[in-house]
Amino acid sequence: MEIQVALIILLVALIIAALAIYLIATILELFKINAGLDVVLAKVGEIVAKSAPVNGVVDAINGTLATGRDLLENLLLVKAGPDSAGLVESLFPGEGERFLRRVGRTGKVVNTGTVYTRGVGILASLGRGAPIGAGHVKGPAVRDPQYSTTAASLLYPRPGGARARPKSPAVGSNSPSQYEAALTPGSRPRDAQGRAVESEPAEPPSSTPPAASSASAPSEQAPAPERLSAKGKRPWEQSPGPLPPPPSPPPGDDAPAAPSRVSSARDSRPWEQSPPPAPSSGGTDDAPPPSPPPADDDAPAPPSRVSSARGSRPWER
Amino acid sequence: MADTALWLMVIVLIAVIPVLVVLLKGVLGAARSIPPRIDAIAGVAAAASQDLDAVVILLTTQNYISQIISSVANYGGSLNVALPDY
Repeated sequence: MEIQVALIILLVALIIAALAIYLIATILELFKINAGLDVVLAKVGEIVAKSAPVNGVVDAINGTLATGRDLLENLLLVKAGPDSAGLVESLFPGEGERFLRRVGRTGKVVNTGTVYTRGVGILASLGRGAPIGAGHVKGPAVRDPQYSTTAASLLYPRPGGARARPKSPAVGSNSPSQYEAALTPGSRPRDAQGRAVESEPAEPPSSTPPAASSASAPSEQAPAPERLSAKGKRPWEQSPGPLPPPPSPPPGDDAPAAPSRVSSARDSRPWEQSPPPAPSSGGTDDAPPPSPPPADDDAPAPPSRVSSARGSRPWER
Repeated sequence: MADTALWLMVIVLIAVIPVLVVLLKGVLGAARSIPPRIDAIAGVAAAASQDLDAVVILLTTQNYISQIISSVANYGGSLNVALPDY
């Protein structure tokens, strides 16, 4: 009986001792935890305080960016119309559908870049109303991979071909010619198809060209030598001196481009010759043969000068 | 009969003591594992607090973005005038 009671007391004492040891150690650790959490809580408070305005600032930035995006999308809708989704799709694959959903529209997104290259598609749609979607999306591209702009211009018929340029305006600020003068007038470095023309040796002017070549390409036979030679031979471009007597032209000749006619006409005019004698008061018929009767002249100029010119011109003889 | 009951109590107490020790040791081990992690969290929180010092620059970014959007709006207005509508 006494041994049993003593064992029980001993065991209870052991249990109490174990509880005391472990619980005291646990309490000490909990104090450490409490101190550590105080430190962490202060730093977390700093984080919260510093990140508090971030939400508003980021919301404001997102709102500003969304406003800019909406502006550009509406502008694209106004300018490109139903092709806008295709343009967006060509630049950012997969964004065309989302673009349509954002702007509240539906429809099939045709990738514009499949039909045209980027620049050609945009320029053609903005400039001349290009038939975007002329080629099927799944078919081959309409454009020429090397000459895309030429291929696009071939879609529109133009008189003279795709390489033809507009003519110079007859009137206006750009008249008579809006293009620069050629460095080699009268010779064509390229033919109508754009191929380079080989330079041919100049033929002597006295030799008569073959009829076939002159008939086949009359524009390529340069008329420049005759025109250039006429510049220095005109009477008013020469130094003053005795001029040879003008040859008498045929009476029925009305061709205005013959230089000999111009020189003969200039030389035969009375005011280019020696001054005529003063007319008499009675109006005699002994005047030089070119002077007609003064009654036929209605011009306010001096009658003697004008009347002397009449009849002296070659085509009036 | 009384002797038997006392012996039975002694056996129960002997069986309870190791179980109690194991449980208390587990609690103490768990409590001892918390402070190092708290120290680690404190270090990370300090670093994050320093990183958030750059949040003030967001105000400058917001100003820049507002200016950029204004420029884009002006550019869009010019395009609206320069290009014909569809």
